[in-house]
Amino acid sequence: MSDVTSITMPLWQLPVIILLPIASVAALMALLRRISLIQSAPEEERDWSVPPFDDGAGTSLLHTWDVRCKIVTILIHSFVVASLIHLKPAICAVALSLTILAISRVSLVKVVMRLVAITGFISMFLIIMPFSAPIHHGDTVLIFGNMGWASFNLRGVLLAVTIAAKAVAITLLMEPLLSTAPLPVTLYGLSRLGVPEMVSQMVLLSYRYLHVFRHEASRMSSGMKVRGFRKQSDMATLHAVANFLGMLFVRSFERTERVFDAMRARGYRGSFPDPVELSLRGRDLILTGVWLTAATLLILFDRILL
Amino acid sequence: MHEALEPFPIKSVNAPLFSIRSLDYTYPDQSPALTNINLDIAAGERIALVGQNGSGKTTLIKQLCGLLQPIGGEVMYKREPLRGDHLERSRLEIGLLFQDPDDQLFCHTLLDDAAFGPRQKGVCRQDAEAAALNALNLVSLSDMAYKGPHNLSFGQKKRAALAGLLAMNPDVLLLDEPTANLDPRQEQLFMDLLGRYQGTLICISHDLIFLYELCNRAVVLDKGHLQHDYTIKELVSQRNELKAHGLDFSFRLIVTAPDSQESCSPEPVGGSQHHNGKASTITAADSTITAADDTPLVDLKDYNYRYPDGTQALGGIDLSITAGERISIVGENGAGKTTLLSCLLGLRQGSGLFCLEGKQVTGRDRKKLWQKMGMVFQDCADQLFCSSVEEEVRFGLIQLGCSKAEINRRVEQALAMVHLEGFKKRVPLHMSGGERKRLALASVLAMRPRLLILDEPTAGLDPRGEALLLEIIKDLDVTLLLVSHDMFFVRELTTRTLVMHQGKILEDLPVHSFMNDTRLGNLNGLSYTCREQSSSAIRMLQHEHEHSHLHNHLHTHQHRHGEVEHDHFHEHLHEHNHRFIHHHPGDQQQHDHIPSRYHDHDHPGHHSEEHDHH
Repeated sequence: MSDVTSITMPLWQLPVIILLPIASVAALMALLRRISLIQSAPEEERDWSVPPFDDGAGTSLLHTWDVRCKIVTILIHSFVVASLIHLKPAICAVALSLTILAISRVSLVKVVMRLVAITGFISMFLIIMPFSAPIHHGDTVLIFGNMGWASFNLRGVLLAVTIAAKAVAITLLMEPLLSTAPLPVTLYGLSRLGVPEMVSQMVLLSYRYLHVFRHEASRMSSGMKVRGFRKQSDMATLHAVANFLGMLFVRSFERTERVFDAMRARGYRGSFPDPVELSLRGRDLILTGVWLTAATLLILFDRILL
Repeated sequence: MHEALEPFPIKSVNAPLFSIRSLDYTYPDQSPALTNINLDIAAGERIALVGQNGSGKTTLIKQLCGLLQPIGGEVMYKREPLRGDHLERSRLEIGLLFQDPDDQLFCHTLLDDAAFGPRQKGVCRQDAEAAALNALNLVSLSDMAYKGPHNLSFGQKKRAALAGLLAMNPDVLLLDEPTANLDPRQEQLFMDLLGRYQGTLICISHDLIFLYELCNRAVVLDKGHLQHDYTIKELVSQRNELKAHGLDFSFRLIVTAPDSQESCSPEPVGGSQHHNGKASTITAADSTITAADDTPLVDLKDYNYRYPDGTQALGGIDLSITAGERISIVGENGAGKTTLLSCLLGLRQGSGLFCLEGKQVTGRDRKKLWQKMGMVFQDCADQLFCSSVEEEVRFGLIQLGCSKAEINRRVEQALAMVHLEGFKKRVPLHMSGGERKRLALASVLAMRPRLLILDEPTAGLDPRGEALLLEIIKDLDVTLLLVSHDMFFVRELTTRTLVMHQGKILEDLPVHSFMNDTRLGNLNGLSYTCREQSSSAIRMLQHEHEHSHLHNHLHTHQHRHGEVEHDHFHEHLHEHNHRFIHHHPGDQQQHDHIPSRYHDHDHPGHHSEEHDHH
């Protein structure tokens, strides 16, 4: 590989190159998390007697868009973004997502929390890929001291950044997808698109009872802590955790039966009532067309122009 | 169970709405749940369904709404068996309120949930939402229509669940422990709502004072058998019957004389008063805690806590607990009581001074607080996770690092203290509510905590379970912190009361002062005295009842002698009932009947009896 450019750098720069970005990302994420926590703290109780703005009653283009068109369009767009190869179109995709965020006027705090959630995934790529990307013709690699076996491939960095940009672009769209309509409406849209209704119902009930199970698990965990349980790497811990999980399963199973009973007692016969009446309008189709055209341009830019 | 197993006479009602004939039901493990139940229920009746834990009450109401199908016999609703299409239609007319509201609130928002029933009835979306909003308005939750159920307090969830039923405009309401774990204000709200309900109402509750206010007929179940069917007044007035079925709640009606209240009142707040005037050495199990000086066991100064989202949960808490004190914490749901307990147990860390036995609790000490404080949770299922009773009690002792011999000794002692001897191999999950509560207490007592914390210990217990728990806790010599809405337990078990409201301690005063201060109840929306009226009425009923015996009367009344009808004073011996107001000094002891000579009574066949003419 004579056309590979190798740049030798002093060994002390290795931790700087690795640790500095990690520390920066960690600090940024900590800051974002802090901001999102502060922002999400209720200064005063909102008025729950009216439908919340970001639960479907908003007036933005995305709030009033037919949910079926929205799901199909955003999913297609996400697949298009995921299939991009080059960095420039990926950055364009991020810009497009930011524009959609601005149009949809969704909660930035929630967007930040979603970004924080994928930070670990992205960081792993940014750290591992420069060292693991195979060296091809024309690559530029940095070699620290005598550590020729751990060459830092700049193409790997480019690849990782591209993946990160695509991940961010798609993540930014999740809030406009999920927060511009109530969850039951989104799931109803999915079932109208052919997803089995039972799946939608299970997702809806899972979302509702996730909180309940989390609280139960938290209370049980407290119950163990106040009797001195601390996790260790021994058989006793394994035994206690197994008991904990078993009991949580039993309680969850019993609750599932009770919830089903409660549903039957109120007349449930296999289906939930439709949360809305969906009707496709011309503007829904126009918006779908515009967005899919943008997605097509992105893929053309990626595959033909670059 | 007492001997009363002759075929139970069916109380005749006009045009029964429900008609149950020879109903049998067995659980999947083949153990009998209901045996030969015969019952008629008329439209508009208000029935209290009572019995001990495990007597089959919940199974019976599940039969009434068709969630369970009889193994034998029949359940008829509107003269048709509850099966097939009729069952599907009937479910839309019969509302069942579950004990745990989370089971019932399965939709995304309160509005969706309340509208679910009407939509299932075929009502269009707009009308269903209107009915839902109306129902939410009835339970004072219309301002939370778009809130998710998981963001509500327990009391709000309970009311929302009721709104889901009321929106369906049901002909029948079946209620399973509607007021369990509610604070007095929420309980009163329920009482008002249910009092206004016009349809047929069947209510399961261990709270007979609540049932006394709400219902007019009582059906007693015992081990799956229908034991009694009479008026609610008859039920509450017959102590022996109540006792036979484990329902005797009369211990709650005992009025402590003012003198005795004074005698158990503590020294001024923060003083070193000890329970019942015992010496300054008190014991938890057989460990000795010595309050050698005035150093408080727990001392909080200007203690604050914020939830992670920044919401202030506790503000400026000043609390001093001396070894041996018995303290109660009262306050509405959401007042910060449980958060305070979490801080004391080291599960949460706030800011401010927190000293234990005079030593400030630091980060490292916080993780060891469990060694000195024990808590019995409101829902004991949260702290029972082992596969046997013995393992459950051993768990904490193993964490403490006790020797095997010591563990065995303490397990035996703790189980004996809570009357669970012989239960060592039992599976906690299969035990009754009262037994599980006592097991949770045993598992904490075995660790010999310096401070015992009880969070709503009476939640879900039947009267027999309550009485037993009361007896056990009374006998404990331990520093006690009791969180409860149950004013009877507060009065019986503690000497000092902290009134919490919005994360602050509003008042810190002797329990009798708290009991006499109606202002405090109104201050934080809790009307602790609202049950007094019913209690007084029941007390009267229990002491005012009929005795039948032979006796002579010199009296006058209309009677016939052949063709002649006249009245004159005369004396004759016959048996008839007398209604007396009197005291029972003891169940089997002799007692006096205050003479009550002037009263109406029948004289069947009197015209043919011989008597003197004066």
